[in-house]
Amino acid sequence: MNMNNSRKWLIDKAEQEDGCLVSVGGFVDALEQTEQTSSNVIPFKHAFVRFVQLARRARKLTLDQFAEKVDVDLVELLKIEKDEQYTPAMRTVHQIAEFLKIPEKRLMVLAGLLRVKDAQFQKAALKFAASSEPVEKLSQEEHAALEEYVKFLCDR
Amino acid sequence: MRAPIQIVKWATKELVEAELFDEVTIEHFLEAQKEWRPVVIAAARQMVQAGANRESIPRHWHWDWSSKEADLRILAFSFFGITVQDKLQGLMKLETVGWSGRIASQKGKPLAYVDYLETAPWNIKLLMQPLGRSPEFRAIGTRLIEAGVRRSLEEGFKGRLALHSLSGSERFYLDVCGMTAVGRDPAKQDLLWCEFTPGQAEKFLNEGAA
Repeated sequence: MNMNNSRKWLIDKAEQEDGCLVSVGGFVDALEQTEQTSSNVIPFKHAFVRFVQLARRARKLTLDQFAEKVDVDLVELLKIEKDEQYTPAMRTVHQIAEFLKIPEKRLMVLAGLLRVKDAQFQKAALKFAASSEPVEKLSQEEHAALEEYVKFLCDR
Repeated sequence: MRAPIQIVKWATKELVEAELFDEVTIEHFLEAQKEWRPVVIAAARQMVQAGANRESIPRHWHWDWSSKEADLRILAFSFFGITVQDKLQGLMKLETVGWSGRIASQKGKPLAYVDYLETAPWNIKLLMQPLGRSPEFRAIGTRLIEAGVRRSLEEGFKGRLALHSLSGSERFYLDVCGMTAVGRDPAKQDLLWCEFTPGQAEKFLNEGAA
């Protein structure tokens, strides 16, 4: 594709475009997005943190062992497990999804990197987050909650 | 396709090396969501706090991820992106099947349809002002529309191109690009159908070029 390389043309167009909006596409109000973010993303993030914690512990891995196996930075893994406000890097979520054999896109939704309109997905995330409490060793219930949620993520 | 292009630095009006590409992946959409959305929301908040009318607040796109990702695999759709030093500055989705002209003289003739076009929020003056910042680059919209017209030419559509403009963007498509305002489309929330005839597209590509 040969693009126009005239300096004059480009400068003229840039001057004319200055201050214009150019958006095309289906839009929603930015404020509504803010409200949706506050109500939807946090429960997902809570489920994401719990999911990573339990998945690691189910494999009897310490944080640094898990970081090494997944090939992610230990500091980032610590942030993921300890700070629910933290948004992980896409690569990190990709690596975790690959290691845990979980569909990447689903995990990205949980991590707050993607948004979906899916009431069932949100309900399942909330249920999982609510049914899992961090303890030293996974209880049968935690194992069951984890396995059920893994199945849900994989079956969709 | 990857093509070196130039865009314009907002503050100094210097030309800046950039890259136009059509190998857009889901990663680009993820990057756009992660990097662009917080800036838009912060600007909207500032505008509200400053007492802006709700209607005057710029709107942000609604991401339907499942359909966007599926779209990436459909040959009839092209996605274009512009980067400067690997940082995404704009995205466009172009459809080349199923659309035809609505201007009387072009009725029934195939055209390229811009389904989606957006620039990064840091290139939008209206969004940067409330944050006390200057925009970074100019001419992202111009370059994306140019790419759309050139793809239309490659497809044999003679530069015919159309889109449904959001109300805030009409000035750009009508006055800057020189498209024809054909009419409001009740099937698309009464958005304005803007269309390039081959002659208008040619004029857009070459007017003032030296």
